[in-house]
Amino acid sequence: MRKILWWQQMVYQLLLLAVGLFALLPVWGMLRIALDGAIKGAPTEFRLWPEEFTLAVFQHVWENPSQTLSIPGLLKNSMIVAGGAAIFSVVFGASMAYAFARFRFPGRKTGLFALLVGAMLPPVALMTPLYVLLSALGLRTSLLGLMIVYAAFSMVFCIWSMRASFQAVPLELEEASYLDGATHWVTFLKVSLPLALPSIAVAALLAFLLGYTEFAIGWLFVESSDNVTMAMAVSGMMRQSGAEWGNLSALALLMSIPVVIIFMILYRYLMRGMLAGRLED
Amino acid sequence: MMRRIFLWLAILCVVGLAWGLRLRALEQLPIDYDEDDYLGAAIHYAQALRERDLAEIINYDYNYEHPPLTKLAYGLAILPLTPASPIIERPSSAPIVSSLPEPHFQTARKLSIILGTLQVLVLALIDPLAGLLLAINTWQIKYTSQIMLEPLPSLTSILAVILYIKSGRRWNVWLFLSTLALGITVAAKFPYGIVGVAIAVHWLMEEYPAQERLKGLKLIRWLAPVAGFAILAAITFFATNPRLWTDPLSRLGAAITFHGDYATSDYVRGAGLPPWQPFVWLFQSVPWHPGVFLVSMDVLITLMAILGYKQMWERQRVFALWLVIALGFLLVWPTKWPQYILILTVPLSLASAYGFRASIWQPLVNWIKRDKHHTRARIAGSPLKIGWQELRKALPWLIPGLVVLGFITVYPMVFQGAMALTDFGSSAIRDGLSGGVWRETWKGFSGQVEPVTAAFFQRSMSKEVHYAGTTLLRQLIGGAAADYLVFGILWTFLAIASQTALGVSVALLLDRAGVLFKGWWRAIYILPWAIPEFVGGLMWAQIFDPRFGWFNQAGKTWYETADYPGAANFITQWQSNPTYALLVLLITATWCGFPFMMLAASAGLKLIPVDLHDAAEIDGAGGWKKFRFVIWPLLVPLLLPAVIIRAIFSFNQFYLFLVLEPPFPLATFSVTSFFFFDQLGQYGASAAINIFTILVLIALILWFNQWSKAAEGYTYA
Repeated sequence: MRKILWWQQMVYQLLLLAVGLFALLPVWGMLRIALDGAIKGAPTEFRLWPEEFTLAVFQHVWENPSQTLSIPGLLKNSMIVAGGAAIFSVVFGASMAYAFARFRFPGRKTGLFALLVGAMLPPVALMTPLYVLLSALGLRTSLLGLMIVYAAFSMVFCIWSMRASFQAVPLELEEASYLDGATHWVTFLKVSLPLALPSIAVAALLAFLLGYTEFAIGWLFVESSDNVTMAMAVSGMMRQSGAEWGNLSALALLMSIPVVIIFMILYRYLMRGMLAGRLED
Repeated sequence: MMRRIFLWLAILCVVGLAWGLRLRALEQLPIDYDEDDYLGAAIHYAQALRERDLAEIINYDYNYEHPPLTKLAYGLAILPLTPASPIIERPSSAPIVSSLPEPHFQTARKLSIILGTLQVLVLALIDPLAGLLLAINTWQIKYTSQIMLEPLPSLTSILAVILYIKSGRRWNVWLFLSTLALGITVAAKFPYGIVGVAIAVHWLMEEYPAQERLKGLKLIRWLAPVAGFAILAAITFFATNPRLWTDPLSRLGAAITFHGDYATSDYVRGAGLPPWQPFVWLFQSVPWHPGVFLVSMDVLITLMAILGYKQMWERQRVFALWLVIALGFLLVWPTKWPQYILILTVPLSLASAYGFRASIWQPLVNWIKRDKHHTRARIAGSPLKIGWQELRKALPWLIPGLVVLGFITVYPMVFQGAMALTDFGSSAIRDGLSGGVWRETWKGFSGQVEPVTAAFFQRSMSKEVHYAGTTLLRQLIGGAAADYLVFGILWTFLAIASQTALGVSVALLLDRAGVLFKGWWRAIYILPWAIPEFVGGLMWAQIFDPRFGWFNQAGKTWYETADYPGAANFITQWQSNPTYALLVLLITATWCGFPFMMLAASAGLKLIPVDLHDAAEIDGAGGWKKFRFVIWPLLVPLLLPAVIIRAIFSFNQFYLFLVLEPPFPLATFSVTSFFFFDQLGQYGASAAINIFTILVLIALILWFNQWSKAAEGYTYA
């Protein structure tokens, strides 16, 4: 192990500190507004620290997120829409992903390319036709409709990443299962699926996050105030002219907390998966 | 022999085509800005020539910012005609005049197209395909068919380069002719002198004495010939610029000062064109005169030029330098008028010709050859049967996914394709919801109805959907979205570059052995990744807020007391100034994206064996050298998938733009499509933009050509 000199350590720490400040600056900027009870409307003077430190703003927003629904109601809608979309994508996509991972059928390469293009499409590219089609079916404004929309956004991408996780399952294990007389279906259920489950869960979580943080298309589709999600509530407050900065900041932070926790728990796992995926070919 | 004949025939065809297209433009193009100025000057010069009044030629100061040579040439062209009455002088910002004296107007324009066609001929002599591309370039046609300053310097600039190449940098007659052409070029219009810079740079590069220290005499020996070349060109410049025959320095100074002032004037600034506007011109055909130019392949020419640039750099270095230096000049110079791009259309066409041959012609030939091969192989063996068995096995696994995907993505996509062929807008929503889109596209495909014209920013007021054919898509491919396409590419490139630079730097810092608190720092850096994009955008929007934001409140007293308007302008005007807004967007996108690149780079660095570090250090490679020649080459392939994923993510970036609300033309295709749908209610236009986005994405993915590798990392983006 090479040692570094004390002044080198200083330089490194200073550089790291600069990047750290860059990373934390906007977060603290929002947090200190949310923690300041003295701000009425927008902040009027420069401050690094809240003038009147309080959690009252969070409490106020929790009780009154300026939608007809309360926060639990908004979160429930988010869960239904985003969670439903994630489960839908994974359940209906899993067997297809398995087929792409394990069978060499004609058209596989074309199919893979189509999946890749589909996975890289922006949500807006599907929004336009889905708006018309779901309107025609009378589903557009319902939570079910929104769930279908978010599922459409994430399903191809889920199939694509599940394919990678199935491919990572060692072939020998499946072959051993065949030798014991198991069918494809039993092997899939008893061997491949359990082994691939962690990475499938990650795919589902990312699909969930896509729906959980979506707001623009949600506002386009939803009409009833009963069907507003958490992210939509934040953007709704953002669009309100003259909204309190404190309330908006607090609501946005409340919305982000679950996502941050999920990422912090998962990040090691994501990195490992990234390396595994790369070494696989 | 046959080859030669074909070559000459090809050149003849190209020249004929160039002449025809320019003749058509001469007849059909309306009078444009500035044409009255130049024709007016020409009439004045013709009068002076007729009266043999040299003093008048020297001292005529109308339109003094441009040297007189081109205007004199127009004067000579109309000299044989009956004298025309002088044209009233007007400021350059006045509206277009309605009529100009005939036949002087036509005659002067004819001189333009002669010069323009000659220019095509010269380029075709080096490369007929490049000549063809120059012949059909709509900007080139427009500005070499009107009474503009462009035709003469366009021709002489390419002559200067070709004569320079022919001279082989020896002091022969070609080199003298080259200085002559260069001098005339500058005397015809200043910016075209950029070609002289390219020649000088090329000369210095080629003659750079390798492995020797440049000192004293050697330095002089290296620089002197180029200086001599420049002096000769300058002599020609003064000789062909009669205005400088008396009081040269102050008059030259006045002309240059004018351009400097003009470039920073409110008139130019009021046009609101972003610094990258030259790219926008290059990514579209001339939009103002539909039906005049017959072919509009300018987008393709530019794309192919990007693909062919590397080859041109190897084969025709001067032209490659010309292109890059001219582009740099155009990006930096504040005045962004479209005719300026003519200073680089020649090297652009040449690069494009290389691109066409390497990216379309060669693959096509290869494909035809390989295809024959394939058919033979297929007849010989029959793997088809095995394929079918595999498909039978795979089918039950595929069906659930196929059915669901069919309903929620494939059918919507097909429907979107149909929508893109209609003028479907919000007034026709009832009809559209009850099957109007399919009805109309069916009618259109079966030839029952003629397509109506649909346009962007123009919502159909009809209560019914109408078949519009491919008008919208064709407009997009022809460059209707050039503003967004150029911004999208620029944005993708800049965003990915800044994220990667910061991410890799941080990863390298954290990779050093012995650095303290690594885990803590990493945990802090991951935070931006975990925060949803739109919340991150909101955080930065609060900080950058022109009135209540942190930066304004912190800096207000400072930039008000220190009288530093630059900082104040940045904070208070970024929401309306494209350059400032781009900077704010980039800062935010870097913040959102660098953690992912840092993690990817960290993971990659762990795979680089420690021995290599040691080996490099034993070989005496210091910090930068070790990174550049040992670590970087190994890291790039590991980083590439992450870069590609982030690039496509940036190309599609949506929520960031929605939250920060930058001014036109700062929008990705997603944002534009959403805007057309949500704000303008043009559903058909929105669908057309989406279809176009998908086409561009497919092209990008094919271009990255690494898609199997790129895909692996995608799971975790």
